[in-house]
Amino acid sequence: MPSVCFYFQVHQPERIKRYRIFDIDNDHNYWNDSSPTNLNNRRILEKVANKCYLPATQTLLYLLQEHPEFKISFSFSGIILDQFESYMPEVLRAFQELVKTGRVEILSETYYHSLAFLHSIKEFRRQVRLHDEKIESLFGIRPRVLRNTELIYNDALAKEAEVLGYKGILAEGADHILKWRSPNFLYRPQGRKKIKLLLKNYRLSDDMAFRFGSRDWSEYPLTAPKFAEWISAINGNGEVVNLFLDFETFGEHQWEDTGIFHFLRELPREILKHPDNNFVTPSEAVDRYDVRGELSFPHAVSWADTERDVSAWLSNPMQHDAINKLYGLEERVLKTGDKTLIHDWRKLQTSDHFYYMCTKWFADGDVHKYFNPYETPYDAFISFMNVLNDVQLRVEQSPRPNLFKQLLSALSGA
Amino acid sequence: MHVAKRVLDFVPNTYFIVAGSGDMERQVIEQAAHLGIADRVLFPGFVRDKELSTLYRNADLFVLPSVSEPFGIAPLEALANKTPVLISKQSGVTEILSHVLKTDFWDVDEMANKVVAVLRHESLRKTLQENGKHETYRCGWTHAAAKCIELYRKLLRPAFD
Repeated sequence: MPSVCFYFQVHQPERIKRYRIFDIDNDHNYWNDSSPTNLNNRRILEKVANKCYLPATQTLLYLLQEHPEFKISFSFSGIILDQFESYMPEVLRAFQELVKTGRVEILSETYYHSLAFLHSIKEFRRQVRLHDEKIESLFGIRPRVLRNTELIYNDALAKEAEVLGYKGILAEGADHILKWRSPNFLYRPQGRKKIKLLLKNYRLSDDMAFRFGSRDWSEYPLTAPKFAEWISAINGNGEVVNLFLDFETFGEHQWEDTGIFHFLRELPREILKHPDNNFVTPSEAVDRYDVRGELSFPHAVSWADTERDVSAWLSNPMQHDAINKLYGLEERVLKTGDKTLIHDWRKLQTSDHFYYMCTKWFADGDVHKYFNPYETPYDAFISFMNVLNDVQLRVEQSPRPNLFKQLLSALSGA
Repeated sequence: MHVAKRVLDFVPNTYFIVAGSGDMERQVIEQAAHLGIADRVLFPGFVRDKELSTLYRNADLFVLPSVSEPFGIAPLEALANKTPVLISKQSGVTEILSHVLKTDFWDVDEMANKVVAVLRHESLRKTLQENGKHETYRCGWTHAAAKCIELYRKLLRPAFD
């Protein structure tokens, strides 16, 4: 002890191109920006793949071969897997290579990296199922641990996850919930019988994800021996150290010249130098360790911003309006049985669209601006609502599917 | 006027109030007539005081489509009256405001796109209003004067050292 549990999030949204009122009812392709801007999805994917996905998977493959004890886990959104398949199948192959080692777990999430859990439980279930089917078809494994979009979690989600048969679930180790308790143990979500809760150790995770390259940080430069020392210091008062971070940390958020790849390459060896340290995947952590207490999250907690709540996606009137109108179309969109239309409607559910509309600039302005491909949150909202208007027109113009088709789509759960 | 014409294609029940006076006033009135939208555009001339704030408060949106504007105090007046603002990127005031809509003065389509969005979506108006009003607090004379005094102090300090 302690066991180090790595989970890397792999996700890129499909950003909406600049879509104006004049495009409504004329152009139904919302995702095909081909400009040299950050709205060009293919361009971004290629950039991130070359800076991060390809070199980072290569480093991890080396580490898995070098250290038989090393283990990691990933969570992929369905839409990034779609993008890999369309634009860069070599990236998908690189991830498949890693999974083949048998020491890489894949977690469950919503296919569309959506906020469906907060708005439509039925849609949430459908998206989780679609996601797990996709993972099984691409990687040959069925996820057994769930993590919701942006680590958004509350008691109701734990209940839902248990009903769906997951044995573990991930959440942020938020101070206001933990109080005096440590994130380095497993907990039982309040009122649940079986499912176990893994909490992110945000200090250590964010040391890597956010502070690593920051010269103003008192611990700069962060070396693998130093970090391994911090892990070893948990010995005796913790069982699992959950390091949950965006996979883009390696090479994209922390550029190569910060030394992040060198750090990653050295880290497992340094951690394993201490005989009590080891690595686990989330499923193994659940199997190996007992819960040490019960925890209640009455309100939704996420891993974003200093607030650790959902205000990055849902705080101003625009965000609420956009998401309410989007889910207001649910029944009518699904009834059309039109696969392309349903897919488009679901892609609009990706949390990033709402993040781009966030006007909460003050404390977290820099991070929000960095990730926003639109000039302003207002531009993000205007394009989104124009697209939604077009989706609505497509629903109205859609021929009523016959009874047979409806039955088929109900059976296939589309 | 071209923006107004474009907007009316989408939201026919819109009125445009072109307030102010100047050497192009006549030309603009003629243009409205020429475009066939004269019944939708009102020209009250130069407006001041109570009438002005009534206009601001009743408007869904204030538009300053200037080709060139050294600063532009009117958008700040609008924001202080809780009216959302659309300004051209070529006006000086654009540098200090984030919670306003911005377009290039020549981009008629983009301007119309944004005007229609404001008219259609109350949530957009509300967000612009709430954040915009907050932003004007930073633009008062007290703040500017303090900055000016600080600058004098800095410049004069070597003389006293």
